[in-house]
Amino acid sequence: MKKIKGVSVSGGVAIGKVQIINQNKLVIKRHNIDKFEVEEELTKFEDSIEHVVEEIDLLIENISQSKVNKDILEAHKMILKDPDLTANIKKSIKTELLSLEKAIKLHFTDVIELFDNMENDYLSTRSSDYEDVAYRLLSHVLKQNDHLSHEINENAILVMNKISPSMATKVFKKQINGLCMEKGSKNSHSSIIARSMNLPMIVNVESIIDAVKDEDLVILNGNNGDVIVHPDDATIQKYRKFVAKQDEEKSQLLKVVDLPTKTKDNKKIPLMSNIEIPDEIQQVRKVKSEGIGLFRTEFLFMGTNKLPIEEEQFEIYKKVAEECYPNPLVIRTIDIGGDKLTKLLNIEHEVNPNLGCRGIRISLKYDLIFKQQIKAILRANLKGNIKIMFPMISCVAEIKKSKKIIQECSDELKVNKIKHNPNIKIGAMIEIPSAAITSDLLAKECDFLSIGTNDLVQYTMAVDRDNASLSEYYQPSHLSVLRLIKMTIENAHKENIKVALCGEMASEKKYIKLLIGLDVDELSVSPGRFLMVKKEILNTNYEAAAKLDEKIFHALVEV
Amino acid sequence: MIRKTIKIKNKLGMHARPATMIVKAATKFRSEFKIVKDDIEINGKSIMGVMTLAAEFGSTLDLIADGIDEEYLIKEISELFDNKFDEE
Repeated sequence: MKKIKGVSVSGGVAIGKVQIINQNKLVIKRHNIDKFEVEEELTKFEDSIEHVVEEIDLLIENISQSKVNKDILEAHKMILKDPDLTANIKKSIKTELLSLEKAIKLHFTDVIELFDNMENDYLSTRSSDYEDVAYRLLSHVLKQNDHLSHEINENAILVMNKISPSMATKVFKKQINGLCMEKGSKNSHSSIIARSMNLPMIVNVESIIDAVKDEDLVILNGNNGDVIVHPDDATIQKYRKFVAKQDEEKSQLLKVVDLPTKTKDNKKIPLMSNIEIPDEIQQVRKVKSEGIGLFRTEFLFMGTNKLPIEEEQFEIYKKVAEECYPNPLVIRTIDIGGDKLTKLLNIEHEVNPNLGCRGIRISLKYDLIFKQQIKAILRANLKGNIKIMFPMISCVAEIKKSKKIIQECSDELKVNKIKHNPNIKIGAMIEIPSAAITSDLLAKECDFLSIGTNDLVQYTMAVDRDNASLSEYYQPSHLSVLRLIKMTIENAHKENIKVALCGEMASEKKYIKLLIGLDVDELSVSPGRFLMVKKEILNTNYEAAAKLDEKIFHALVEV
Repeated sequence: MIRKTIKIKNKLGMHARPATMIVKAATKFRSEFKIVKDDIEINGKSIMGVMTLAAEFGSTLDLIADGIDEEYLIKEISELFDNKFDEE
């Protein structure tokens, strides 16, 4: 038995048989051919194209349900059948005597470079399609198994070096028990999905591929990051019990999926989801969430060194809004810290990014990025279920400026005769104490407010929430924080607008009754916590919670 | 041989989707099909060719078809441009 320590990115315990998935780099060993080999090479080329086209047809039939995926795969087919591609590769083989693999690689390298250098942003993002096609074609020619043709065993624990987004999409459709990776990070695409599915996942597990082989039994403890290789019988027994308990809890939670979300005394508390990437929508639908209360848009900057563009955002927002309809989709404008934008915008390094140029401050300063996002949202809002939310609001002036920009965007779209819906509800995130304290004024300018407790606690208590040594100072239930939340809710209700709460506080069991007692209208939590929160709401008596809160306030004052 | 000059009327210009539509339509015909923009000539049946044109809103293109069904090819492709690739 051996324990290897990794970093847990999604909790829970999993036991299962290892399936190693190697996504090797394709290595080209044969560069040139002899003249007599030309004919054979050309035939091989035609066969390969045919084979890969068939492979894509199969994918279109079986895997992709969404139209977007289908369109992409259709485009891949078109790339393979491109007469220019055929002519170029054949020419390289015939006249330069290059091997097929070398010719393919050269051709695609040229094309990808061409696209990357294009001024038109929309086209320059297309080079990834060519990379995908090149990988597929080359892996066929080199007879190295294409990663996408791997069959994934049911209930397996997948062990791999790293995982690409396209691989992740396939993996998460299968019934697997857990994921174990040599590389990876907490905020990667696959980690986010694993969390929203409650699927145990551990990354940064050193040399795990060498430590196990296919079919070995392995235990992942996503609660502390331990990977147990070759466990002894006693350990297996112990963890099996744990998994049984975990499964029982899960099946208990599934029972509440179809129930309406209301307290015991029939107060409706709409429960929505927070998502970080569009792919989480599957999970949102599974738990029957009443909309998306927080759609973060920082994913636009994931894995790219380019600024996001309107067209790409429009497609994404439109799709997510359609999936949500008729429930609302609240899109939060970019809440990226200056530290992440330094490279892109040549912003000077900030000594204290948390108190620096982030959230709405970035948007108002670089209104080109802001306007692209607003326009994409207005265009995507054809069904009228999208709302816009601004992060890091600290005063009313910022809301007024933002509204003016929305108006400008709408006017510009109108002049260019581009279809859009200018009627959109707007809201402010209440996450800075100054916003909470002036929430009476903000409520007059907004259609809704949404309390972001993570930052609200951090800024009220002046404590960095990621600093483990200060965790005792990070107190979501401190009287100061509760007063700010209460004040915000009362001020909003005076103006007849609703208050949602989308911070992590809403997904901690111990705070849910407290928040309902404070009269919060809606809660929004990550899909992985959704059912737990729902069950707790169903167990709450609103009248009793409100009375208890009064007592708590008195008690806290007397401390 | 037929040559026809057209203008790009859809706001977004020649991005991936219109390019795909053009190639899909053009490959149904037997005639050769070329598109000329400024001094660049590309094969209108090649997705890469059409995409690399990077033709933006308002720019002018020449469509050139040569073959037995050239008339039908030009007609179908011009309609795509006229209908702004179903974008607006």
